[in-house]
Amino acid sequence: MDTIFFIAAIILTFAVFVVPKQFQYFWSLLLQVSIVIISSFWAIQSLFLSSDTLIRAFMPFMGSTLFIEIDKLSAFFILVVNFTVLTGIIYAKGYLRPYFITKNKAEMALHFFSFLWLQISMLLVLMFRDALAFLIAWELMALSSFFLVIFESEKKDTIKIGIQYLIQMHIGLVFIMSAFIWAYVQTGAAFSFDGLNIYFASHNPFGLFFLFFVGFGIKAGFIPLHSWLPHAHPAAPSHVSGVMSGVMIKMGIYGILRVLTYIHHDLFYIGLLILTISLISGVLGVILAIVQHDVKKLLAYHSIENIGIIGIGIGLGVIGLAVNIPAMTVLGFAGAILHILNHSLFKSLLFYTAGSVYQQTHTRNIELLGGLIKKMPKTALFFLLGALAICGLPPFNGFISEFLIYSGIFKSLQPGDLFTDVILLISFTGLAIIGGLAIFCFTKVFSIIFLGSPRSNKTEHATEVENTMITPNFLIGFMIIAVGFFPALFMGPLANVVGLFSNDAASIQQMIPVLNNISISSGIFIALIGVIWILRAWQQKKQTVKHDATWGCAYTGANPALHQYTATSFADNIVQLVNPVVNVKKEFNGFDEKEVFPEERAFKTHSSDTIEDNLIIKPTGKILAWLKEIAVFQTGKIQHYLLYALVFLIGIFLLTLLNWI
Amino acid sequence: MTLLFIILYAITLIYFALSERVKKFVVLLSIQGALLFGVVFFSLYKIELFDFIFILIETIMVKSIIIPWFLNKVRKHNNLKRVHEPFVPVFYSIIVVVISLLFSFLISNYLKDNQIHTLYFTVAFASVIFGLYFIIIHKNIFSHLVGYLIIENGIFLFSLTVGNVMPLMVNLAILLDVFMGVLVLGTFVNRVGNTFESIEIDQLSKLKD
Amino acid sequence: MLSLLLILLSALFFPGIIAKVKAKIGGRKMPSVFQPLFDVVRLFKKGAIYSPVTSFIFRIAPVVYFASVLVALLFIPLGGQKGILSFNGDFVFFAYLLAIGKFMLIISAMDTGSGFEGMGANREALYSMLVEPAFFILMGSLALFTGIVSFNNLYSVMHISTNLSYITGVAAIYVLMYIAMVENSRLPVDDPKTHLELTMVHEVMILDNSGFDLALMHIASGLKFAIYGTLISNFIIYTTWSIYVQIISFFLVQSLFAAVVGILESFRARNKMEKNPQWMLMLTAIAVVTFLTTLIITQKIFLN
Repeated sequence: MDTIFFIAAIILTFAVFVVPKQFQYFWSLLLQVSIVIISSFWAIQSLFLSSDTLIRAFMPFMGSTLFIEIDKLSAFFILVVNFTVLTGIIYAKGYLRPYFITKNKAEMALHFFSFLWLQISMLLVLMFRDALAFLIAWELMALSSFFLVIFESEKKDTIKIGIQYLIQMHIGLVFIMSAFIWAYVQTGAAFSFDGLNIYFASHNPFGLFFLFFVGFGIKAGFIPLHSWLPHAHPAAPSHVSGVMSGVMIKMGIYGILRVLTYIHHDLFYIGLLILTISLISGVLGVILAIVQHDVKKLLAYHSIENIGIIGIGIGLGVIGLAVNIPAMTVLGFAGAILHILNHSLFKSLLFYTAGSVYQQTHTRNIELLGGLIKKMPKTALFFLLGALAICGLPPFNGFISEFLIYSGIFKSLQPGDLFTDVILLISFTGLAIIGGLAIFCFTKVFSIIFLGSPRSNKTEHATEVENTMITPNFLIGFMIIAVGFFPALFMGPLANVVGLFSNDAASIQQMIPVLNNISISSGIFIALIGVIWILRAWQQKKQTVKHDATWGCAYTGANPALHQYTATSFADNIVQLVNPVVNVKKEFNGFDEKEVFPEERAFKTHSSDTIEDNLIIKPTGKILAWLKEIAVFQTGKIQHYLLYALVFLIGIFLLTLLNWI
Repeated sequence: MTLLFIILYAITLIYFALSERVKKFVVLLSIQGALLFGVVFFSLYKIELFDFIFILIETIMVKSIIIPWFLNKVRKHNNLKRVHEPFVPVFYSIIVVVISLLFSFLISNYLKDNQIHTLYFTVAFASVIFGLYFIIIHKNIFSHLVGYLIIENGIFLFSLTVGNVMPLMVNLAILLDVFMGVLVLGTFVNRVGNTFESIEIDQLSKLKD
Repeated sequence: MLSLLLILLSALFFPGIIAKVKAKIGGRKMPSVFQPLFDVVRLFKKGAIYSPVTSFIFRIAPVVYFASVLVALLFIPLGGQKGILSFNGDFVFFAYLLAIGKFMLIISAMDTGSGFEGMGANREALYSMLVEPAFFILMGSLALFTGIVSFNNLYSVMHISTNLSYITGVAAIYVLMYIAMVENSRLPVDDPKTHLELTMVHEVMILDNSGFDLALMHIASGLKFAIYGTLISNFIIYTTWSIYVQIISFFLVQSLFAAVVGILESFRARNKMEKNPQWMLMLTAIAVVTFLTTLIITQKIFLN
């Protein structure tokens, strides 16, 4: 019965093309809310209320009925997707306001249509088990996000980036499709996820899992499959980036987790594969983020890093299953799944606030910004909240998921054997390094954008953004604080999801007293801040509080903005350590000894993604160069083409004569 | 107790990767000699007096006192102050040392052979690997000499892994090796230092003509 | 409760003892041991100056930093007394709590819009990142050795173990001591007595703070020293001793630690700034060796 409403909502999305321009937004909002309500209703039923999978008949498909099946894993993801998409559409109202004037009705309609279909396809991906339907939904997701990415198509780079994105998504699709086909051919079982069960029971799972991992990994953004991410997310408008980075890349993680639910033996090397790639993604992702000047590109690299953290949790969970250490399994998976929720929250928050900054200053280059906290205080505060959360600092939610993973690691050190212990050593060292580098990066970003003095005149006309762009921040902030301060509340549903992977999921309940202790400690922390603030206010009432310029060592010559640190200088000392990865080149003509009165000089730095360079740009460059040589045959004259046809005919004739073909 | 000296030896390897001053290399070499004496002292079950005096001479006298004294003479003669930037930054060298230590400890775990005392195998193997790496990354002949001596220390430890009594011949052979190496290289360095200003190996290829 | 009081008490003396030892070795006239305390009291009587470039962040950061150090203090046990707050995995919370304090300090330094403070912020961010793995690996080896993942029972179980635990204990003390010197911005990473802004790391970040805020910073650094000193003295104090012996030995160890810090500071020059990262990586390397030692001691690496 409720399926009918769902299908009706899907069909009504086509109506957005005929609705007049000023109502397009409200029509999409209405449809989106109804889809959210229906799917969340199903998800809540499945996750909280009942213990079996929710199955509904959906539509007739290829001769038989297509079912949607929502188990605990899908239900969790559905709720995460719905929340982020909802905040996205609320944010979009204010963000798209300037575009309503410049774009025509069809373009806006296409945009809203794609946004609706992005949500619908993501939900369908989560709900279908039949492989063909799943692949169609996956393709719809890629197509709709493509149209969203090329929204600002007047910039010529955007279309190029969009096409590169589409190509990479299709490569991923090919991998997933071939994996399904391989399993079907080998076993003859149903062409669906459940058919994988039979395959994995009788074959070595590593090969097929590797195919799935590559396919889903391209979507998730594991290094070295990540190169579309740092280009597509900045090119897309901010509400789309928030949704893409917050939930769309998690669809890749969903795929990997779904495949993992069917594998029950020979898990060690699979776990090791996931863990290694995730550690590399985490560390390299954050190192590459440090040298970026485009704030959205930086946030995109941080998504890669956080996918790495989620992967570390999953990898540790799988290894725990293989070596039979329950603490590692349960806490690894729990941390990973909670981090999925957490990351969608703070990453979308960061993208929305970065989008607000872009809307006001029209630049994404942080080197031109500064001092925005005085003009956009609410945006700055929410960016700070997102930054603190993404670094995994207490008392916010990022800390809780990292804490779960750390607990799993430290509890498993003693039970583990030597090889496991070395793996655990590398994992927690990696996590500590990732955390430290994230703090480095976000102190840089936050301070350069919002603090200090303005570095150029781009910030002159910035003011606080309208309320509809701040409301989603409040919603997300509320969730961040809820998960951070009351994590014990979330353990119940988390245990239900982890139960799909491990039999000891109930042992998560043992973490509840620990998490309550964390809540109490966080509470004491906040209370202490309040007490000391009051003490200071009381002391300063009796003293004089003056306002005077910053200490500049009596150097009054330069413009104070020039005296500050820039983003490049902040990142410089880490760049010296990790230059092989980030490939930063500096262009500067030094001063000659004989140059008594120096003239103006310019200084440029340029960084590039080494992995993308060596994996994609260099090989494709070589292939293109080779193809250019061959293009000599394409002369454009009809006579030459006729000559080719004649040669071909004679050749075929001769070869048939000689019985070679 | 032997374990303590083994661990301290591993830590000296880390300090070798960290330091950049030639004087510190020499000091570390003499510390390594003393640590080797400690290892031997605490691990031999039955020691005859002759053997004990021989080992004492070899480790304390030769490795800790005579060779460092000789190296110091060479250093002062050539006025070496500091190692110029090695090919690989020190930051990465430390990571390499840690990985090689981890690797050799893991290998010695998987060598389940009753004939070998794997306790010494760990740092012996790490020592040899690190000594070779040390020679590869430094440009200075003096540093090559130091790297060669680190390898010799590693070989000394290898001789400990395969026996519980110090075979005299093995020790004599090692000592001979060391003497020849140090004498030849030391003299070479002195002569080269007299003729040219620097003893960097890229400058030395001019000697071909 | 008792442990908290003792730690607070030792924090009063700590900077004073260091200053006294350095003065004595340097052949200068020694200030009173309470001089830093008098400085702090003097600062509490003063007003503050705020730069118009700064914002709300600059005002709240010292408060958050101080609160984080104070809450971190509540986790530290002493001898047989456990910390006021204690749970499994609390050292992770401890490390990240100190990290949020540093985060706020770094952004408040950038808030002033001064190039000097930016320099200090940049360096501080790098150095605190490099020292994190050393702390975690150390705690990992202790967790591996004792099977306990909280500060609480860690030390009591350590003491019950075999003779070989001495090696782990000694290595842990060595690494912890240097971590303490790095976290408190002491030589050889940062010279607290330099007056050249271009060479400062921590001092320059608090250059623009004044009055109450500066007092909070000074107290916080004293507290941090006391925290690490307590962590070290826990390795030495046996829980089986009587409470009076424990208290006396605690103060003895703290004073000894302060004296050692003073001696190390007097005889060691500051590292060249670009050599600092590799020096700190050396700490992580030694921590890894400690981890390997623990693996040997717990018989996971089987050596004959």
